[in-house]
Amino acid sequence: MKSEVVAGAQGDFVAADLGVGSSALVVAHELKAPLSLVRQLALSLELEEDKDGVRRVSDQIVATSERALRQVNDLLKVARLEDALFELEPVNPRAVCDDVVGELWHLFAFNRRELRINYRNRRHLVVANRQLLHSVVYNFCLNAMNYGGEELPSEVLITDRKDGKIRVAVRDYGPAVPTKIWREIKDGFVNRPLEIAMRPGSSGMGLYIAAKFANYMGADFGLIRHRDGTSFYIDLPLSGQLCLV
Amino acid sequence: MRIFVIDDDKMWEDYYRRVLRGFDLDFFHDGVAAISEMDEKRPDAIVLDILLTGPTGFAVLNEMRSYSELADVPVVIVSSVEIRAELADDYGVAAILDKSTMTPKGFRAKIEEVLNAA
Repeated sequence: MKSEVVAGAQGDFVAADLGVGSSALVVAHELKAPLSLVRQLALSLELEEDKDGVRRVSDQIVATSERALRQVNDLLKVARLEDALFELEPVNPRAVCDDVVGELWHLFAFNRRELRINYRNRRHLVVANRQLLHSVVYNFCLNAMNYGGEELPSEVLITDRKDGKIRVAVRDYGPAVPTKIWREIKDGFVNRPLEIAMRPGSSGMGLYIAAKFANYMGADFGLIRHRDGTSFYIDLPLSGQLCLV
Repeated sequence: MRIFVIDDDKMWEDYYRRVLRGFDLDFFHDGVAAISEMDEKRPDAIVLDILLTGPTGFAVLNEMRSYSELADVPVVIVSSVEIRAELADDYGVAAILDKSTMTPKGFRAKIEEVLNAA
C-alpha cells in the first residue's frame, strides 16, 4: 500500500515568502542545532585521551559544520533564484547523486546509518541545474538520515518514468510522514517552511529548499508514503542531448 | 547506573556516549519506544530532549509521571529550545540544560549530581 502526492511544477509553488519574523525563527532553529553540536564537540575534545578519539571528533566537527554551511548556502541560493543565476543545462543525475552520496557518506556513518544507490534509468540526461539538483538530493538524503531507521539503508534511486521524465528519489525506512504533513505538501504548503510544531525536530527547511529548487527547474516534487517509510522525489524532464558518459 | 537518553537527533548520540562514558546508556529516538522499554528496564535517570519525532518531551514526561513506578525517576531536559525554568517544578524535572550553552563537563557533573541525589 502506498500513497503519493505531487506538488506540480507549474503554478502550485507561486512565489510567496514568509514574514521576516517567522522565517528568521525557522532559520535560527535550523542552524542552532548543528552550531550547538559543533560547540559541544569542540569542548569535548579535551575528554579524548587518544589520537583516534580526537580524530573521530574532529571529523564529526567538520561533517557537522559542512552540513550547516550547506544549509546556509542553499538559503542564499533560494534568495537569488529570482535573479535567474542558475542556468538549466543537460545534467547526468547519476553523477550528481554519486557526488552527494560521496559527500554524505561520513555523516551517515557517524549516525550509524547507511546510504546506498540504486540506478535503474536507461536514459541519462535531464534538463536541470547541477547545483540545484545537488541541493535537492542532498536535502532528501539528510531527511532520510534523520528519519530513517537503523535496520535498513536509505536508498538513492533513479528511474525512468512512463511520462518521459526521470525520477530521482530518496527512500527511507523510518516512521511514516504524518498525514498532516502529507496533506500540507499535497496542497503546496511546502512553499513555506513547515511549522516547527508540525513535525517536532524538523523545521521543514530541507523540503522547502528542495521544493523551491524543483519549481525553478520546472520539475515535479512529491513524496510517496510507504507502509515502512517514505520516498521524496523530483521528476525531471529529459534532455534531448546525447549523453557522452 | 542506567541512563535512558531520549533524543531524535542522531548526531548527538556519539557525543552522549563519550561524555557519559562509564554509564550504561540506552538510546531512544522517540518517546514511545523509551516508555515501552521502561516496562522492562527501569532507568536511574533520563536525559530528555523536548523536540522529538512523535510525542514531545513534555508528553513523554506526562506519560511517565502517570505511572507510579516511574514517577520519581530523575529527568534532565537537554534541549535547543528555550524552556521556562518554572516548568522544572511543574513537571518534576531535576534540571534543564541548554544544548547551546552547556559544557560537556558541566553536563556530566549535573548527571552525577542528579544520580547521587536520587
